[in-house]
Amino acid sequence: MNSRADTGQPQTVTGDTPIVEIRNVIKDFGGVRATDNLSLAITPGELHCMIGPNGAGKSTFFKLLMGTIRPSSGTIHFNGEDITRLAPFARARRGLGIKFQNMQVYQELTVFQNFFVPMRRHHKPAEMPELVDRILRRIHLTGLEDETVKNLSHGQQQWLSIGMSIALEPKVLLLDEPAAGMGPEETASTAEIIKALNAEGMTIIVIEHDMEFIRSLNSRTSVLHLGALFAQGSYEDIERNEDVHKIYLGKA
Amino acid sequence: MKRSGIFGILGLLNGPQTMGRGWVFWIGFVVFVVLAYLGPTHLGLKPYKINEFLISGFLAASLSILWGYCGILSLGQVAFFGIGGYVWGVIGINLWDSTGNTHLAFLGGILAPTAFAAIVGAAMFLARLKGVYIAILMLVLSLLLETFMLQTADPEVYSIGKAVLGGSNGLRPASDIPNAAFGWGESVVDFNGRRAEFYYFALTLLILTYLGLRMLLNSSFGYLLVAVREDPDRTETFGYDVRLIQLAVFCIAAAIAGLAGSLDTARINRVDPEVFGVSANIMVVIWVAVGGRKDLTAAILGAISLEWLFLWLTTSGNPEYATIVMGAILVGVMLIAPEGIFVFIGERLRVLFGKSGLFSVERKDSVI
Ligand SMILES: Nc1ncnc2c1ncn2[C@@H]1O[C@H](COP(=O)(O)OP(=O)(O)OP(=O)(O)O)[C@@H](O)[C@H]1O
Ligand SMILES: [Mg+2]
Repeated sequence: MNSRADTGQPQTVTGDTPIVEIRNVIKDFGGVRATDNLSLAITPGELHCMIGPNGAGKSTFFKLLMGTIRPSSGTIHFNGEDITRLAPFARARRGLGIKFQNMQVYQELTVFQNFFVPMRRHHKPAEMPELVDRILRRIHLTGLEDETVKNLSHGQQQWLSIGMSIALEPKVLLLDEPAAGMGPEETASTAEIIKALNAEGMTIIVIEHDMEFIRSLNSRTSVLHLGALFAQGSYEDIERNEDVHKIYLGKA
Repeated sequence: MKRSGIFGILGLLNGPQTMGRGWVFWIGFVVFVVLAYLGPTHLGLKPYKINEFLISGFLAASLSILWGYCGILSLGQVAFFGIGGYVWGVIGINLWDSTGNTHLAFLGGILAPTAFAAIVGAAMFLARLKGVYIAILMLVLSLLLETFMLQTADPEVYSIGKAVLGGSNGLRPASDIPNAAFGWGESVVDFNGRRAEFYYFALTLLILTYLGLRMLLNSSFGYLLVAVREDPDRTETFGYDVRLIQLAVFCIAAAIAGLAGSLDTARINRVDPEVFGVSANIMVVIWVAVGGRKDLTAAILGAISLEWLFLWLTTSGNPEYATIVMGAILVGVMLIAPEGIFVFIGERLRVLFGKSGLFSVERKDSVI
């Protein structure tokens, strides 16, 4: 895990070649500049946290990575390959998995059926029950495989959405506010789920507002502000950074 | 929990994406089919009246898989019906003298609309067109076809071999549009569209299409259709090219609509530009919405029963009120059962028989 305190500077390659790298990416929505010349690199195996005030451009960063929106300028690399022009499904096939900010589960299907779609690409139906059981255990949904998803609690649906992304067996997992709307206990469990996945080698980028949650992940953290990288460093560095506190209070 | 082997043939017929599974349903199905076959001989059904209903069943199935299962509403589904009908007629007229059957007419009546759907669908889906734009575009396309066919009155310009497109009068020479006919030489079997023989032929095809679609919908492809309906963006992030799934179901739906159009031209030995009209397009949407778009069985039953009801209203009592009564019934049904009347009934039956495990097998045994 990288904990260099190079606050303020766009991250350049340290050691390993980055698995995800965006260079000078600008994204304009009409008059709004959602990301402003953003450059960022993620090393393989890293657990990377991303924070920033509302509208800072965090979700836009994920959508650019996944390809649901295209940058106005700049490039996006995955595993050394330029994927700037690839469609989302092609990026998914290369190993990018995502849970978007809004909940994305198939409401009218059962929990088990929800896993069918992400798993079908890599596994035979006969293998699925065991694999699903294994994932359900990780995300605390054991025994609920035949429940219709719309009957699950909000937190359970968030976990299911994470579980579906895991089922894809991605190289890099993008989680946009995985603990949104959860109580303290569920939030803590979510942090444990993420740490366990990362410990097994999955590269993970997490966007969150909940600082308690970011603290428990205790990993390299980037701060976005007005579409640009405002600060970067270990969790303690960020916590100690006065300027970061200011932007959250709206003074910077 | 054992789920293996569910991908077997029978499992695919049974669920989970189609309503009605388990013994009670299949016994009911067999009884229904037997009664349908006995209809003309024992129940007093008049083939010249009800043959048309079977064709509605195909059209409803076609829109149900497209709209109900994959979430793509088309307000121009009869474009494919009309193309199928015209192509069937043109080929039928031209090849009748030399072949004495309509094999190639059926082939063309199915393949031509499918090819047309592939081109239109590729343009729409690759451009990632969505929702209401597709619905409207398809309606416009259907109306353009109607306008085009209406101005084909000049036989000097608009003839294909012996077939004259004939503008608003429809395909000519009308008397020479053949019946559906299969076989060679002496052993040709011919189905007169006003008689029971056509009824048995169309009914058999409808049942086979129904069972075939059930298997398709309950296969992993059917899952993808529902996944695309529920959340296309999420499905794409799982590595599926959603556009190709949409294109595939669009083409399959067009093929079935084309088969329906072929059958209809064969049934009445005519086809005219009205097949492409607004009211034809809207009728299909109404059948499917009222029956229940998200279920194949419900959509087909919806089409047949609404056609039947309308016929009954227009031929009994005060036909001048038929449209108003029909409208009132439609509004009533949509208020009481927004998911469709037969889906509503199916859900009730499931509750009724569910406890005994007869009407639907346990959910967990039918997950895939
Ligand atoms: N599709 C869009 N069209 C127009 N503007 C957009 C669009 N998506 C995002 N924006 C704008 O871009 C900016 C960045 O939005 P983004 O969703 O990336 O912020 P965020 O950091 O994820 O915020 P939050 O913490 O509230 O989720 C905002 O000003 C937002 O209004
Ligand atoms: Mg966001």
